[in-house]
Amino acid sequence: MNFAPRGRGGGGRGASRGFSASRGGGARGGTRGGFGGGRGAPRGGRGDSRGGRGGRGGRGAPRGGRGGARGGAKVVVVCSLVVLMPYKSNCLKEAFPRHSGVFVARGKEDMLLTKNLTPGESVYGEKRITIDTPASSATGDGNAVTTKTEYRVWNPFRSKLAAGILGGLENIYIKPGAKVLYLGAASGTSVSHVADIVGPTGIVFAVEFSHRSGRDLINMATHRTNVIPIIEDARHPLRYRMLVSMVDVIFADVAQPDQARIVGLNAHMYLKEKGGVLISIKANCIDSTAAPEEVFAREVQKMREEKIKPKEQLTLGKYKFSL
Amino acid sequence: MGAIDFLLHESSVGYSIFQLVHQPDTIGNRLREVQHASQDLSKFGKIIKLVSFAPFQGAAQALANANDVSEGILSDYLRSLLEMNLPKPNKKAIVLGVADKNLAGSIKAAFPFIECETGDTSEVVQDLLRGIRLHAPKLLKQLQEGDVERAQLGLGHAYSRAKVKFSVQKNDNHIIQAIATLDHLDKAINTFSMRVREWYSWHFPELIKIVSDNQQYARVVLFVGDKKKLLGDRIHDLAAVVNDDGDIAQSIIVAAGVSMGQDISESDMANVLAFAKRVVDLSEYRKSLFAYLVSKMSIVAPNLATLIGEVVGARLISHAGSLTNLSKYPASTVQILGAEKALFRALKTKGNTPKYGLIYHSSFIGKAGQKNKGRISRFLANKCSIASRIDNFSEAPTTKFGEALKRQVEERLEFYASGAAPTKNEVAMKTAMDSVLADIKIQDPADDDEEMADIIPSTVQKQGKDKKKENKKRRHNGMDAGLDRTKGSENKEEKAKGNEKKSKKRKHSEADGEADGEVDQTRSGERKERKTKGTEVKAKKRKHGEVDAEAAEGRKGKKKKSSDK
Repeated sequence: MNFAPRGRGGGGRGASRGFSASRGGGARGGTRGGFGGGRGAPRGGRGDSRGGRGGRGGRGAPRGGRGGARGGAKVVVVCSLVVLMPYKSNCLKEAFPRHSGVFVARGKEDMLLTKNLTPGESVYGEKRITIDTPASSATGDGNAVTTKTEYRVWNPFRSKLAAGILGGLENIYIKPGAKVLYLGAASGTSVSHVADIVGPTGIVFAVEFSHRSGRDLINMATHRTNVIPIIEDARHPLRYRMLVSMVDVIFADVAQPDQARIVGLNAHMYLKEKGGVLISIKANCIDSTAAPEEVFAREVQKMREEKIKPKEQLTLGKYKFSL
Repeated sequence: MGAIDFLLHESSVGYSIFQLVHQPDTIGNRLREVQHASQDLSKFGKIIKLVSFAPFQGAAQALANANDVSEGILSDYLRSLLEMNLPKPNKKAIVLGVADKNLAGSIKAAFPFIECETGDTSEVVQDLLRGIRLHAPKLLKQLQEGDVERAQLGLGHAYSRAKVKFSVQKNDNHIIQAIATLDHLDKAINTFSMRVREWYSWHFPELIKIVSDNQQYARVVLFVGDKKKLLGDRIHDLAAVVNDDGDIAQSIIVAAGVSMGQDISESDMANVLAFAKRVVDLSEYRKSLFAYLVSKMSIVAPNLATLIGEVVGARLISHAGSLTNLSKYPASTVQILGAEKALFRALKTKGNTPKYGLIYHSSFIGKAGQKNKGRISRFLANKCSIASRIDNFSEAPTTKFGEALKRQVEERLEFYASGAAPTKNEVAMKTAMDSVLADIKIQDPADDDEEMADIIPSTVQKQGKDKKKENKKRRHNGMDAGLDRTKGSENKEEKAKGNEKKSKKRKHSEADGEADGEVDQTRSGERKERKTKGTEVKAKKRKHGEVDAEAAEGRKGKKKKSSDK
């Protein structure tokens, strides 16, 4: 297996890993695309868009709110041609080389995008970009007429999955038409982007335990028919067995000390063979006294015992999540 | 246990039962070929055969069944399906593969001839169920493509909505919000008051020196208004504003006469006064909100509130998320609740862990000497933990335990200060328990009447109530093992009393006697006897419904029984 830790400096505590479940040999990851190793670090939309979410007290402090704008100096513009173009109206959009369903907007600032499943609506106040699609684009409509397609900006400072994509994960397994079991869906901000990626033919089973954030999740899901909200404890996958079918990929962002076990339980019940597992590990949540690297290694070992073999590991220290 | 005969698959569209045509190999289970077989529908379809598929009739039924399945309860629909489709075995039990061991238990209880294998006990079952789940849309032939997904979507929404709607900690939420609002209000009132002082001081700077309290200041501002209009004849009204303090009122009037403040125009004054009015209103609202919090705490967590105070108690609940969460925490966690940052820093640097978190704001810790702060904090946390558990798990709220615990903490403080020996825990708890039981005893007749009013026909309901009472009793027993010994005598006493009551009441009516029987039953300490008697009572009740004469007989029998005792 090509297990290559690719921590990129800093040694921050958060890390995201790609795994592949391997009941009988995992599939090899795809080849690396030519997108500069994701160094572009596109700034996401400004993160200060938390309108309508006030009054959130106690635990689960508002996530995000950390504007991408702070990283202004770090932005590396890969394509100098587009810089001169007016922002927003003529934004050139291209598919992210390695992951179908994920797009990149090149402009003054690069941005990660997903195609909006519900045009005209923002889920959590993120920016939307409308682009005239020429005939032979990635969206694949054969007409010569240009159609307007709406995309939503995906802020890597708010979503670990987005950060993972920018960090250069080879394979996120989440692709159009895929069925995804999303553990730790929270308010459904990242879930909405995953739902965008899988599109109308895919399904996202979004599991969240907290009633408070579950409320927002259900609201989000009412507008996206490919998201099935499940307010239940992910520790007991049997409880929601009537609501879930076999899935292609499990994404876990549960931040619990026993999260490897949680993922294992769910994978045994619902993951197809050779399916993918993406797990985001926050070292502090598992053992706050041990060194982060040690914690990651231990978690990998636990996953191996669950017959889930590691393929990629990535440190997300650069994207400081406020969680 | 060897071969599996049937498999049960629960899905969003309905229940289905599959029969195993071809027994899979247990040994080669992990081989790649075997694993692949379940991937391939053509091969997997040969292993199993659909026996029956029972679709749900509507969304409501699906939701009810989904709830039952997630709790591991055998719903009537599933029961009838199993009854119809599983053959009665002639010699050996048939083996059914189910996913959940709780459901397996319920099935086993309902159908003794079915043996259940679950995903936990048998890897074969797990693999087969995975296979069925994978191919379910194809295996269930009546379904069209997308049916399962559509049903999942509808059911997922319904299930999750119900979950969010039904919140166990309804009351806790209000406490959490109230304490948070209170904190915000305090902050806001303080800053606003400072602003009032700043603003009004342009007009009447001497007032700050005379009235230092913020809220009183705002009230005085409201009363005085333009300082020129403050003359000696208003002194009594002014005194009323400043807590009937004539000296202060007098000095205010004097100061107003010689003030070096600027004159102020009418409209400016109107604005200052409007703002002062707001501040006064806000502080009044704070008072009413605090009263609300106190009353809420006395319902939800009376013992905790008595022990540590409403505000700190509410903070603890708010920090834990709910009273249930708080009661699940160990005392060591309660002790440093609110000091997580310091704790983790200490853990990382291997330094000293904090001695207290939120409970520092309790008056006990302030009272303790510097050396004993840590000790009393630990002790207090222990008592808080106990109090929160009593509050969370008892049905009838009482402050008796809270008072006892508070006394204990006070005694402990005294012990640290002077060395006076505190009451033993066992004794303290026993007295608290006794007083609680005494209360229950007094209330009992009323309870009986109530019971009578709403029960008469249904045995089931009564049993439920019975059980509750029993539970309560058991819990009380469990709370302090030391009490158990003392309980015997208590029970005897009670029993005697119960009997007395019974003989009195028997004259009233039949139903009376019955209810009393129940009371007596719950009262008796010996469980065994209670059980046998319970069945007796039940049997009797059935008779009651049929023939009166027989009922009378039954009563006679009971009388005998009680006199036996």
